[in-house]
Amino acid sequence: MKNKDVIRLIESRRKLSSPGGLKKLEMEGGCGVVGLACNEKISGKHIMQSLIQMHNRGNSKGGGIAALGLNSSQCGVSQKILEEDYLIQVAYLDPSVRHQVEKEFIISNLDVHTSYPLPTLKDYRAVDGLDMKPPEVWRYFCRVKDKALSQFILKNNLDALERPKAEDEFIYQNTYKLNNKFYTSLGEKRAFVLSHGRNMIILKIVGYAEQLIEYYQIENLEAHIWVGHQRYPTKGKVWHPGGAHPFMGMNEALIHNGDFANYYSIAEYLSQRNIYPLFLTDTEVAVLLFDLLHRVYEYPLEYIIEAIAPTTERDFYLLPEEKRKIYRAIQTSHIHSSPDGPWFFIIGQTNIKQKSFQLLGITDTSMLRPQVFAFQENGVSIGLVASEKQAIDATLRSLHQEDKRFLPYADFYWNARGGSYTDGGAFIFTVKGKNLVITDKFGRRISVNKEHDCPPINISAGKSEDVDPAEKIKEFTKTIDQRWRIPIKDRACALSNTEEYLNEIFLSMSAQKQAENLYRYTDWEKIDSLSPPKSQKEVLVINCEKFPAEGSQSISRFIVEAYQLGWKNFITFNWRGQRFCGCGLGSESNDVRIDVFGSSGDYLASGLDGAEIVVHESAQDQIAQIMKSGKLVVYGDVGQTFMYGAKGGEVYVLGNAAGRPLINAVGAPRVVINGTCLDYLAESFMAGNPLEGGGFVILNGLKFSEKGEITELETPYPGGNLFSLASGGAIYIRDPFSKVEEGQLNGGRLIELTEKDWELILPYLEENERLFNIPVKRLLSPNGELRSFNQVYRKVEAVELKVLQKGHR
Amino acid sequence: MKSVEIRNCNSRFHKNIGKYTVSLKDSCFHCGLCVEICPYCVFDRIDGFNHVSTPNSAGCLGPDCKEGPYYCTTKCPVDAIKIELDPQWKTLGDFRWTPDLIITTWQQAETGEIPRGNLEYRIGASGGGFDVFDFTIDDVTAISSEEIDNIITSDKISTSICLNRRGEGPSIEIPVPWYGAGMSFGSISLPSILARAHSAKAWKTFTSTGEGGYPDELIPYSNHVITQIATGLFGVSEETIKRTPIIEFKYAQGAKPGLGGHLLGDKNTPGVAKMRETVPWNSLFSPFPFHSVYSVEDHKKHIDWVKTINPDALISVKVSTPSDVDMVAVGSYYAGANIIHLDGGYGGTGAAPEIAKKNIAMPIEYAITKVHKFLLEEGVREEIVLLASGGIRTAFDIAKSIVLGADGAIIGTSDLIALGCVRCGNCESGRGCPRGIATTDPELEKQIDPSWGAQRIINLYASWQKQLKLLLYKLGLKDIKELRGRTDFLKHIDEK
Repeated sequence: MKNKDVIRLIESRRKLSSPGGLKKLEMEGGCGVVGLACNEKISGKHIMQSLIQMHNRGNSKGGGIAALGLNSSQCGVSQKILEEDYLIQVAYLDPSVRHQVEKEFIISNLDVHTSYPLPTLKDYRAVDGLDMKPPEVWRYFCRVKDKALSQFILKNNLDALERPKAEDEFIYQNTYKLNNKFYTSLGEKRAFVLSHGRNMIILKIVGYAEQLIEYYQIENLEAHIWVGHQRYPTKGKVWHPGGAHPFMGMNEALIHNGDFANYYSIAEYLSQRNIYPLFLTDTEVAVLLFDLLHRVYEYPLEYIIEAIAPTTERDFYLLPEEKRKIYRAIQTSHIHSSPDGPWFFIIGQTNIKQKSFQLLGITDTSMLRPQVFAFQENGVSIGLVASEKQAIDATLRSLHQEDKRFLPYADFYWNARGGSYTDGGAFIFTVKGKNLVITDKFGRRISVNKEHDCPPINISAGKSEDVDPAEKIKEFTKTIDQRWRIPIKDRACALSNTEEYLNEIFLSMSAQKQAENLYRYTDWEKIDSLSPPKSQKEVLVINCEKFPAEGSQSISRFIVEAYQLGWKNFITFNWRGQRFCGCGLGSESNDVRIDVFGSSGDYLASGLDGAEIVVHESAQDQIAQIMKSGKLVVYGDVGQTFMYGAKGGEVYVLGNAAGRPLINAVGAPRVVINGTCLDYLAESFMAGNPLEGGGFVILNGLKFSEKGEITELETPYPGGNLFSLASGGAIYIRDPFSKVEEGQLNGGRLIELTEKDWELILPYLEENERLFNIPVKRLLSPNGELRSFNQVYRKVEAVELKVLQKGHR
Repeated sequence: MKSVEIRNCNSRFHKNIGKYTVSLKDSCFHCGLCVEICPYCVFDRIDGFNHVSTPNSAGCLGPDCKEGPYYCTTKCPVDAIKIELDPQWKTLGDFRWTPDLIITTWQQAETGEIPRGNLEYRIGASGGGFDVFDFTIDDVTAISSEEIDNIITSDKISTSICLNRRGEGPSIEIPVPWYGAGMSFGSISLPSILARAHSAKAWKTFTSTGEGGYPDELIPYSNHVITQIATGLFGVSEETIKRTPIIEFKYAQGAKPGLGGHLLGDKNTPGVAKMRETVPWNSLFSPFPFHSVYSVEDHKKHIDWVKTINPDALISVKVSTPSDVDMVAVGSYYAGANIIHLDGGYGGTGAAPEIAKKNIAMPIEYAITKVHKFLLEEGVREEIVLLASGGIRTAFDIAKSIVLGADGAIIGTSDLIALGCVRCGNCESGRGCPRGIATTDPELEKQIDPSWGAQRIINLYASWQKQLKLLLYKLGLKDIKELRGRTDFLKHIDEK
């Protein structure tokens, strides 16, 4: 679009009357978000399980979904109409206004090819827990009438504009007018447009998102892309779903977790371009901003992301010269309209021209909201993004039950590093034809070398009957723990299959007589009948599947109660994202051990004071907060704010930590992270002098290659703010090629290791070797040749900062 | 409250500071008339001595008793008694804590009685906040002393409030509508903390740890000690969460919203550093948000977490007063909080940077009303306890917060005044407090004997309860709960 046309287009909106004022009425709270993109069409029911398992991220005050890339026969139209027509969905809060709305805004200007009300359950009360009747929704497949469009173009001097663009704008303005008249947050709320893009639908209700799926009977609706949202608005009374997510742009559906600090500034920016929010939430302004940059300014996706989440500080200077030039220009124009504060967006988008569908996840530059990306390829390709890993697993598990090509775990999971030079803080899944492609913000393809098969896993112990269950459990557990050492294409298979075998063993224990066995099985149905263990060695095997995620009946409380009965050994399996595992055991729990299989939840081991917890999968966010003593082993990654405010304990992590690990940790925590971290590692670390009993972190900077070999990461720590404002403790960073530089520090100092340092950390590396099979010798041989410890490890120590010194005010 | 024993508890300094100094001129011939007539024991003649002792000036009401039968200066046959303003009086305090307020708080801490004379013990002179409100009734002391005695000793007027108004969980009732605010080990000395805890136990109310950890010495008082979880998570462990009846999440402090806690290097002595498990002599800063809480669903998760560790604990959420404080409050309610603690900007923290003090957020008197009304509109007001803090200095401040819509108040500085604080304002720097209160210096902190300090605070609370009972009586109410939201009882001081 030429500059002049942009101005004319924006000018054409001047006639749209502003609703007056930019007041933000709806307070956004937190939310649970999930999105998936698949090269095959997937039924709505599969996203349900993630939404159910993220109930505690919403509060029944808003749920919504969007589906993109639909099945034409399910929509009752031809493929041509599905692709070419606008698919307008109007929510009638007051069904009596439908004729008026249709007369004024639908029939008058649009050629309607098909229209019908969405089928629903007869009685909304049939949906468990749904208190409020969802709106009546009508769907219209239509195009703008030729004559009306010509008039519109003429009236607004848009003749230079491509006709389809003018048609888009017509639809946009038509919707605005409809909403302004029949909704507006200030007047009576009677009807509003849910979505108007092509080949996409949005639905939202007051309730939970999975109730929506049930009520509108879209369990079997197929789509390439799904996004789902559980809303948790701060305000209590909500009687209509206007404020629920997703919000639409033109062909986008956006969901959001977080809250902007600068709503007014963005709203002001938009109002200068004749764009006015009508639903008064920051999510709406976010999508309006996206639509402006995308459809009016026609920025490429990369520049849109830069305008929303600018690259700053050291990351900016690590960009190539060319990019810096462009980014600086973008920032100059857009920094005051870029959302400030904690936010995470998931956007589903249809691209008419490219005939593709896209799913985007974008994080704010400080990564203040939880976010996990995942990918699986096993004859069918699926990309997912959600607030929690367990929600991703939930959808995969649901798919697996129906179609064995899907596995209950993804091939890999990762986090975006917000506003970074490494990935730009955003990933895009593009479905085009039969392909699903993953790219980062810069358009770099994330390559996945995977063959399309899932070979059977060779487990030597087999399933033979005469093998002792303890031996079997040991063998299978080892297979799960060592899955990183096999080629990536087999990892998810190995994990899924082995877990299945293991679960079979556990479940078979329910039938066994207690007296004969060292194991006792229990589950949600049996909680009331638990008796004390017969011996100290007896292991309580808990099937966690049906336990609630929190509260007095939760699995974490059940473990505490069992512990109070005398149980010390726990094997817990079938975790479904329940929180607080290991919390509440208290300080005299030294002889307790908990093994965790499945998708564990947030806050695991937070407060741990003596016990040992072994997580055989990746863990989630806020793990081991205020941990005081004991041991935690994680055979995978850990999430955000890992060990925040920790006081002590030994922790071994096989993979990576996300943002802000060990912030404000004190005392003597001793931690080995074999991968890397995002930003802010050990900020305000205050853990004394490690050589005199204080705490430290060892960062090994390793990864497992696609073949399953131990290899060095490009850099052991890509981020900034390493050890910033720390006053005690140390980081021992494995950096044989001196990739970490002073600029990444903020107050700390890089120095050479002494013999004493090495004596201190060696036992921890040896334990790390024992647990993860990462030999100390391998650690000291970055290029295959053995080096001395101080040529491989570097120490970051605290320096006395002026602001932290005595008497500084 | 029969379990609360009120005993006279003198200042720990030889000479009390009062408003006036009384001296005897050389012309005095020690007739002893003044000793006989002064009911406030300003004059004394020790048995077996001829001379009248040096007058105890602090007890003197000054010219206020001119009209009474015992005005010594006119009665003195040789005109030898000289009453002047004490020059120290002028140097005390500030506009919020006027010299009168400080002196009368000391008096209450000594005697447990409502102050006599005309020193202003109800409001300060800040020209704003609670100082510009008054009740629409006459001075409550203007009833006969017998009647007063009857009212304040009877149990017919209740000042108790319940801290759990949700249908579930333990019921905790406190006999007075206030408890003590969080003051960390590090910001104040251990003896001061113990004095506060002891008085909280005696009054069956609470005090809070602040964010400096939970010293073992406090364990005997654990049923009356709130464990605070603040953003630095210093000293917070499962044990400290398990042993408390109330957990207080400190999201912000009214004196410095948007800033975390500060403990400047000098006060981070080896003892304090050990408790917080940090490096001695380094300044400690807490982050301003919880790194694990950036939204209301995170907050709910946070609450669910401590409920997992201690299912019986009540949850208090301490927030400052931003313009959307009503939203914060209602969000906290839906996340499961029992108590919303609004912390306004008038209050305490010696360590807050000057720029932050009183320059950010909404005045507490606006915030209380805003939140109260919003919770009423939402229909959840009766489910939650709303407490106000930040510059609540007197019984009248407490009453005013309740009238504006709170259920009760939270007290900080007044406790310290009772311990002898003179509001010099040097709490944060150097070895800290010359009076041994806000210090961690092992020498200075010896100045306070915890049992003495406890008695002082017990006495102050006793006087406050009496004042509240009298006020309720005057207003025709029987229960402090009836006072909530009765803004018709309040007038702006300029209103005639």
